[in-house]
Amino acid sequence: MRILLIEDDSLIGDGLKIGLEKLGFTVDWFDDGLDGKEALMQAPYDAVVLDLGLPGEDGLDILQDWRRQGHKEPVLVLTARGDVDQRIVGLNSGADDYLGKPFALKEVQARLNALIRRNHGNINPLITYKDITFNPQTREITKDGKTVVMSPREIALLELFLLNKNKVLSKEVIENKIYSWSDEVQSNAVEVHVHHLRKKLGKDIIKTINKIGYILGEA
Amino acid sequence: MKNLSLQIRLIIFFVIIAGFTWGAAAIVSLKEYREEIDEFFDTYQLMLGRQLASADWRHITPQTQLTADKIIDDIEDADMEDEAIAFAIFEQNGKMVFNDNEEGKKFSFRPGQELGTFQKVKVKDEDWRILWLPSVDGRYVIAVGQELEYREDMALEVIEELLTPWLLGLGVLLLATIFMVSWELRPLKRIASEISSRSSEDLSPLQAKNLPSEITPLMEALNRLLERIAQMLKKERSFISDSAHELRSPLTALKIQLEVAQLSKDGSSERMEALQKLEQGIDRSIHLVEQLLSLSRLEQSEIMQQENLSELDWKQIIASVADGYKEKISEKSLKLETEEKETPFSYGNPVLCSLLLRNLLDNAVKYSPEKGEIRIIMEQGSLEVINTSAEIKPEVLNRIKERFYRPAGQKESGSGLGLAIAEKIASLHGCQLVLKSIAEGFSAKVIKTTDAEA
Repeated sequence: MRILLIEDDSLIGDGLKIGLEKLGFTVDWFDDGLDGKEALMQAPYDAVVLDLGLPGEDGLDILQDWRRQGHKEPVLVLTARGDVDQRIVGLNSGADDYLGKPFALKEVQARLNALIRRNHGNINPLITYKDITFNPQTREITKDGKTVVMSPREIALLELFLLNKNKVLSKEVIENKIYSWSDEVQSNAVEVHVHHLRKKLGKDIIKTINKIGYILGEA
Repeated sequence: MKNLSLQIRLIIFFVIIAGFTWGAAAIVSLKEYREEIDEFFDTYQLMLGRQLASADWRHITPQTQLTADKIIDDIEDADMEDEAIAFAIFEQNGKMVFNDNEEGKKFSFRPGQELGTFQKVKVKDEDWRILWLPSVDGRYVIAVGQELEYREDMALEVIEELLTPWLLGLGVLLLATIFMVSWELRPLKRIASEISSRSSEDLSPLQAKNLPSEITPLMEALNRLLERIAQMLKKERSFISDSAHELRSPLTALKIQLEVAQLSKDGSSERMEALQKLEQGIDRSIHLVEQLLSLSRLEQSEIMQQENLSELDWKQIIASVADGYKEKISEKSLKLETEEKETPFSYGNPVLCSLLLRNLLDNAVKYSPEKGEIRIIMEQGSLEVINTSAEIKPEVLNRIKERFYRPAGQKESGSGLGLAIAEKIASLHGCQLVLKSIAEGFSAKVIKTTDAEA
């Protein structure tokens, strides 16, 4: 899942980027409100983590602008001010959830997973497809009840397919979802990861649609 | 006497003053009454003496005495004032011819007694004032006398009669005073009970109507004090909540970096990096806590007390503060120049002045670009730190001294308290901190505004 992180505090921003990436997210981090606001137009993000006290442009203004422009990405607001008023203003400005500082990385992860799940219309925290089950919080994958060991990037790719069942995903979309701006992408990376998924979960799990992309399920 | 109530003090004061003045008045009156009484009775004695002297005593016999005594005795109440005046008539040889049948019997006349004068004579151990007169025919001596004690008693009686209503009046006045005082002091009692029944949270002004004008200033002063305390408390509370709030961000950073370290493999470069950042975060928190502490210490009044003040050696202060930034200055290849023209001001708290300069220099080092220039200029009445800087917007300049305010787009970590601390120290030394954007730079200038030190 690709996350847009806008946070001006270098230690928090850096920690969130590295930590969330370790937890399976693909993260683009901006420490300036203006750049962060623009970034949402440049890549297909699954969720946004937005700090309110931002240089450049205030977090709430950015959020209101996005919503006015019709951006539907779920937004998790980080606020240092714990007061109720600000949370209400935040939620009323288009935020989907908020976290007051100080917060734990795991909580950010849990809230992002919940937001993304809801955004895809899922209620169950576990995502299943046939005999495959994926737990977004623990990043655990089981097939027939048995744990399958995978690299983080493979898990991210599987998660992408599981959340977009029966939809054709182009190679470009896949790259945009599982790689951040800071990642170097090999030209055949997606093919390699798909190959590994088929090897571990069964040949037929992901079909190749010629010249268009890949699909999990039926077109 | 110190802790006696106002009522008791008033009563004591009243009694002493009344007793003293009335006592003095009584003594003066007594003396005057005595003189009056003396004059009155002397006149009376003279009149009686004159009448007796002009009488013809040749035919007086002991029978006359008896008859006269009887006449007098027959008068009802005749002996009422009998001891007032006594008289006796003597022949020249000292033989008593006639008397008043009372004290006069006790008089005795010795030939050679000077006549025509009043004299103090002892009669049976009592002092008498006796007027000796020769009779008109010169054959007899008339003695008209009065016991002096009687005059004295009379004077005292008059005084006593005068003083009795005074004493009664004093009592009434005292009661009235006690009543008045307690009546007039009721507002004080009301205020006292209002204050003592208040919760420590309630710092609203005291309300009391119809106060005597002597108590109004006290209440106004109390209300002003309450207001000052309320303001101080408000400031303290907002400082505490701001501080707690400001600690949230560094604490979040610590927590996140710690979690990253926990998620990273043992000995991995990621873990080492996270631990390094954790350390940075801890340093940042320590810096923030230290700045908060300095700021709260600056609020304590004893900081500018005499024992903490001394002559300031600015050259030494600048040298020691600059020494602490040697490393950072060389890291960023900055150029630090000091212009020591005059001493800015000569007297103050050297520890605080170092802190002031450290905060200004800290900003200058942090926000100067690589290879920038920093200049510290000492002049008569001012200390200026100038550093290379892009232009700072006026709206930022206006707010930059506020506690915890950090301008947008800040890459450098800071507490947002440095300039607030510097300004507070400046004002403690009668100075103003003026911040300006100048050509290709930023100037922070401490300017002496009042002559008084501290």
